[in-house]
Amino acid sequence: MEFDWSAEEIEYREDLRAFLVETLPENWAEISKDGPGSDAQAAYSLEFCAKLAEKGWLTQNWPAEYGGRDASAWRHAILGEEMWQCGEPRGAQYMNVNWIGPTIMEYGTEEQKTLHLPPIARGEVQWSQGFSEPEAGSDLVSLRTLAIRDGDDYVVNGSKIWTSYVNHAQYCFLLVRTDPESKRHKGISILLCPIDLPGIEIREIPSVVGDRYFHEVFFSDVRVPVSSRLGPEHEGWNVVAHALQYERVGAARYARAALTLDELARRAAELGMIEDEAVLERFGEARAACEAARMLAYRVIDLRNQGSPPTADTNVARVANTLAEQAVAELALETFGPDALEYGSFADSHFRLAMTAGVAVGATEINLNLVANRFLGLPRE
Amino acid sequence: MDFELNDDQRAITEAIETLLAQHAGAKRAVELGPKGDYDDALAAALSDAGFLEVALGEETGALEAVLVVEAIARAAGVVSAGAEVLVAPLVAHRALPGPVALVVAGESAPIRFGAHARTLLVSDGDEARIIDVAAGAASPVKSNFGYPMGRVELPAGAGESLGPGSGPSLRSWWRLALAAEAVGAMGAALDVTIDYVERRRQFGRAIGSFQAVQHRLAQCAVAKEGSRWLTYEAAHHGAPAERAATAAAHATASARLVFNETHQFTGAMGFTREHDLHVWSMRLWALRLELGGAAGQKRALARARWLGGS
Repeated sequence: MEFDWSAEEIEYREDLRAFLVETLPENWAEISKDGPGSDAQAAYSLEFCAKLAEKGWLTQNWPAEYGGRDASAWRHAILGEEMWQCGEPRGAQYMNVNWIGPTIMEYGTEEQKTLHLPPIARGEVQWSQGFSEPEAGSDLVSLRTLAIRDGDDYVVNGSKIWTSYVNHAQYCFLLVRTDPESKRHKGISILLCPIDLPGIEIREIPSVVGDRYFHEVFFSDVRVPVSSRLGPEHEGWNVVAHALQYERVGAARYARAALTLDELARRAAELGMIEDEAVLERFGEARAACEAARMLAYRVIDLRNQGSPPTADTNVARVANTLAEQAVAELALETFGPDALEYGSFADSHFRLAMTAGVAVGATEINLNLVANRFLGLPRE
Repeated sequence: MDFELNDDQRAITEAIETLLAQHAGAKRAVELGPKGDYDDALAAALSDAGFLEVALGEETGALEAVLVVEAIARAAGVVSAGAEVLVAPLVAHRALPGPVALVVAGESAPIRFGAHARTLLVSDGDEARIIDVAAGAASPVKSNFGYPMGRVELPAGAGESLGPGSGPSLRSWWRLALAAEAVGAMGAALDVTIDYVERRRQFGRAIGSFQAVQHRLAQCAVAKEGSRWLTYEAAHHGAPAERAATAAAHATASARLVFNETHQFTGAMGFTREHDLHVWSMRLWALRLELGGAAGQKRALARARWLGGS
């Protein structure tokens, strides 16, 4: 065991920070105040990702064969920390580089790779994930959106819900049931579905999280070419389960939370609150939670770096990250007091981002199930 | 960054576990516990095998010492492991005659190993002091909290000062030791609890198959694992004030959760001396009360990070 960054990694982080200072516009705080789903941030992400791609950093984690640099999992994690810390200027495109691109590399046809990978690597394309449905949330395998084969097309009918970023996306990584007689894990396929096909309708679900955060997507007799199916027909579940393990620690939530906490401590010091023993204790507790979440996320990166298949360490890390973000979010509101009630204020922005942590990409309870069964070896119910 | 044990670390953990399998364990702790005895045989075995020199070794240091302390805590060794294997060598830069007890100047509450200590390592403001204990200067205190306890009387200003700045250094290494011991005890407490809920059947099924039980044990695992990695990281960096307090704050906070949940799920059996849980669980509260207590560790972390103090 050793816990030092290499000289090369330290230099990379410094380069990245310098790049961010140079690149992010002066009104970045304004652009990012409504979150990555907003029009302003989505538009900016295209500009930003093109610049990141020019530096060779956008898809550095990809193999050289696909235009990447074979960067280590650690180097890619540094990128993730620095991006998430400053409000994720990649917008939704972090998903493209973290798991959508790599999943296409692993399971895609040559045609799919040629079509999808270069635009992702250039930072030109936005994706969304079509997983949850009204009747399939935590129990994702009960999904019902049907894709029935008709000649060279699938005819898709059904709906997806809570779909973030779909309002700006060109594609949806769509889970469908291709075998109408099937149940649960069997009979599911993945479609790399263009979002501009006739019969797709997108409606925003207004929420307190932020503008354009959630959407519902309706599919009515949408004809999706069979050539856009990723991986084997009816057997898409394993592909998705694999991809999800990467998604769960895709966002360096601990890094943003830790930075926010430092800002809160400065604010609490200005207000003379921080000398209070009870306040100090709360801040210390939240800081420890952020640090624990960081180390548990690093454990996952370490396993990935060794080439280990995904383990339940990912779920352990996810639970810890949620706890850390929630601890900081509560302190944010309490430190700022009623000033936090103003939309777009520092505390409000952090709180809105944090409030979804225990639900997004799998509820905490699902993660705890997996920790109990796979990490502790407790028997299934 | 590398989270896997290297060859030296693997060799050390294997060696200490072999020694502990022979000389320590819950059964031995139960034998000694009610009498408040110290495990002189285990202490001698650790010393003979060179484990007191790990912290100052040529190829080994604080991180390897932490692995040893954690292993001893996991095996419920009734020896002053944190103080002797980790704290004393790294603060005094030499081994001190054991047992070693850690104490805060001016406090008269019972301390771990207080009645057996030959050496006291005293946190006295900016200074750490070493005091040789004359026989009979300490009195044993009966305690239910898993360690032999005793009160010591400290002559003011006595002993050898380790110089200005040695006080904060002592408190940082002490916090790291607390974290390492808590991690070891939490690991063992969770292991015996998991074993229990897998075997204990009610309503026709193992109680460990109930989600209400599973989720809470999973949360314990998340807390314990976070504590473990923070402890190793702080050790690797030489226990700087903030990192040591972070490890201690998280480990002692986690210890409360682990105490509550392991006792909840082992039911009445967990309170008995027939079941081993108490050997580790009661110690968790002793660790939570030391050096300013669990709340004190959180404040120490906040002070180190934001107020520039320790």
